[in-house]
Amino acid sequence: MSDQTHMPDGHDLAPGEEEQHSVGTRILGYVVGLVLALLLTATSFFIAGTDLVWQPSIPVALIVLAIAQMGVHLVFFLHITTGPDNTNNVLALAFGLLVVFLVVGGTVWIMANLNANMPPMDHIMRMRQ
Amino acid sequence: MLGKLDWSAIPFDQPIPLIAGAVVLVAILGVLAWVVVKGHLPYLWREWITSVDHKRIGVMYVLLASVMLLRGGSDAIMMRIQQAVAYQSQGYLPPEHYNQIFSAHGTIMIFFVAMPFVIGLMNLIVPLQLGVRDVAFPTLNSVGFWLTATGALLVNVSLVVGEFARTGWLAFPPLSQLSYSPGVGVDYYAWSLQISGVGTLVAGINLVTTVLKLRTRGMNYLRMPMFCWTTLASNLLIVAAFPILTATLAMLLLDRYLGFHFFTNEAGGNVMMFMNLIWAWGHPEVYILVLPAFGIFSEVVSTFSGKALFGYRSMVLATMAICVISFMVWLHHFFTMGAGPNVNAIFGIASMIIAVPTGVKIYNWLFTMYGGRIRFATPMLWAVGFMVTFIIGGLTGVLVAVPPADFMLHNSMFLVAHFHNVIIGGVLFGAFAGFEYWFPKAFGFRLDERWGKAAFWFTFLGFYVTFIPLYAAGMLGMTRRLQHYDVAAWRPWMLVAAAGMAVLTIGVICQIMQLVVSIRNREALRDRTGDPWDGRSLEWATSSPPPVFNFAFHPDVRGEDAYWDMKIRAQQQLLGHDLPEYHDIDMPRNSPTGFVCAFFATIMGFALIWHIWWMVILGGLGAFATFVAFAWRDHDEYVIPAAEVARIDRANIEERRNLVSMAGAV
Repeated sequence: MSDQTHMPDGHDLAPGEEEQHSVGTRILGYVVGLVLALLLTATSFFIAGTDLVWQPSIPVALIVLAIAQMGVHLVFFLHITTGPDNTNNVLALAFGLLVVFLVVGGTVWIMANLNANMPPMDHIMRMRQ
Repeated sequence: MLGKLDWSAIPFDQPIPLIAGAVVLVAILGVLAWVVVKGHLPYLWREWITSVDHKRIGVMYVLLASVMLLRGGSDAIMMRIQQAVAYQSQGYLPPEHYNQIFSAHGTIMIFFVAMPFVIGLMNLIVPLQLGVRDVAFPTLNSVGFWLTATGALLVNVSLVVGEFARTGWLAFPPLSQLSYSPGVGVDYYAWSLQISGVGTLVAGINLVTTVLKLRTRGMNYLRMPMFCWTTLASNLLIVAAFPILTATLAMLLLDRYLGFHFFTNEAGGNVMMFMNLIWAWGHPEVYILVLPAFGIFSEVVSTFSGKALFGYRSMVLATMAICVISFMVWLHHFFTMGAGPNVNAIFGIASMIIAVPTGVKIYNWLFTMYGGRIRFATPMLWAVGFMVTFIIGGLTGVLVAVPPADFMLHNSMFLVAHFHNVIIGGVLFGAFAGFEYWFPKAFGFRLDERWGKAAFWFTFLGFYVTFIPLYAAGMLGMTRRLQHYDVAAWRPWMLVAAAGMAVLTIGVICQIMQLVVSIRNREALRDRTGDPWDGRSLEWATSSPPPVFNFAFHPDVRGEDAYWDMKIRAQQQLLGHDLPEYHDIDMPRNSPTGFVCAFFATIMGFALIWHIWWMVILGGLGAFATFVAFAWRDHDEYVIPAAEVARIDRANIEERRNLVSMAGAV
């Protein structure tokens, strides 16, 4: 964690505020982000319908593209960087990911295990026949 | 025009809720009339209702929690009397009324007593401990409080208009679905929690940001008081867990309002998914409540032992460990739902592991006391009472974390005794310790010690007499939520528990008496220095009550126990430093945004419950318009001139000098 101290009345930035760059640089950043995001989206649609690649690899390719899409959003729109000012944001993101992983992964595991032990009703009906 | 609402909504045939509602209504109207006649209304509006001062909002949170504690406590008394008399008879509460009472008791105690109490104390104290002038988002803070109050109001309206849920405090489907609960009870429950849940989330974001971004000079993470650390952990959990509750209740509401099938028995719905999701929020929730209490005890034990907290870094580590592990144990609330041995075993082990950091904390508090000069003032009594009680509750918790044992004890009175043991012994004792400890800081006078100690002993003993019998009844096979029973062996335990409830009630009366007596003797109990307990952290470095800007200068922190350090240095330098130069201070302007938003949210919530669609649109538009009006405001700060800051600060320095010289003369 960063140990730097933030003065409430000094020149520190309010949470979420970015350091002052010139308007041009900032617009360029957003445009690059938009182009990359559109590119990734278009590629996903293209991959889903194409027969140019080996078919079983398509789901994996879509997952990779989706993760890349998230990365683009985080870097260009949410301004998550590895700079020292950004430790809090990166840690918050890591904590969020951990919680999502625990809750979603745990839920999938628990519910699958329940279903294994308690077959759904139609399953029981079929077994009775 | 009015949706489902008509005269049949008011339970004219049930005297108990009607009389209770009438008494409360008369009391509220009486207070309102008194306020208007005495001309206090402009003062209340300017200084409290529209206030964005974190101290005022903190006090209002605690006030809300205290009032709701009386409501939830009345429910508890009614339940204990019912179970004491309903042996081979129907008792005095018909089943549908009894079911509403236990549902309302749980909902109110968790969401509208424990939550506002700890959030109020965090609001009041954390900015002071960090040495800053306000929280990160002052107006948002006010919005959060008023939305919580909206939820509490809706729950209480259900007493007279319509009914409350009969489903228990978590409204499990399929019982909470339209087919089994066609009334408005579950809707009151769900919309109250949705609205107050937004308030809680807002408070959580605000406090996380405050701790991470607003700290005074030199206050790095490992110099923060323990209470700030537990606040950070608890609010991180709020931000991570409350969206799960909101989403789960939203799905239940979609089932009820629009015929969806998330948690229904038919059409591919899955009831088990509701248990899974609600407890994925529910378990972090208990740590959201108890972590701030752990922080309060850390402050209290260290101050009243006259020693720095033992094992500060291990305490930080334990707090953050609990923060993460609390997301890995939720299945232990439904071991009996049918999961296989692997799943049950893993979650059982995780549940036992989370007891380890808690144990670390207990040892740290004991070692802090060891070799200290302990003063048994009222806050310290609550802390010691907590340690004894919480260990018992924790051990029964580890017992029910063992899946085979849980299969015997699930949904029994043993479980009821266990969670009251940890919530009363942990959260409530912590809230009372914090209340007694920080009251002088908030209001500028101490609380009467004699009544405080009486309140502690009656509550402490009353707790054991009430809840130990419930453990015994659980062992004898008594399940929870019984409206009546025919087993002779349970009867004596229920009678003892009812007697314990009477002792607890005396404790509550002592607490109220303490407040009354202290207010009457406030001149004699006045705290002139701002440091009545010989405290160690920065909240004691300013006057009591603190000025609106908290500190004339941002304190310069050079180590742990910042204020203790300053006092030692001041003694060495014989208070001989020059008078500093004062500057203007910018403070946020008060804003009615929170109150107006909550007003419209109340209208919208009520309309949603009764299906009055035009009113829903009206409330929604009103709340949105308020937000837009706030977003377009022109100026949001006002200036306190340097001369005024100097006047206030010098008066406080003068008081402290007098005290030191008086102490020197003796």
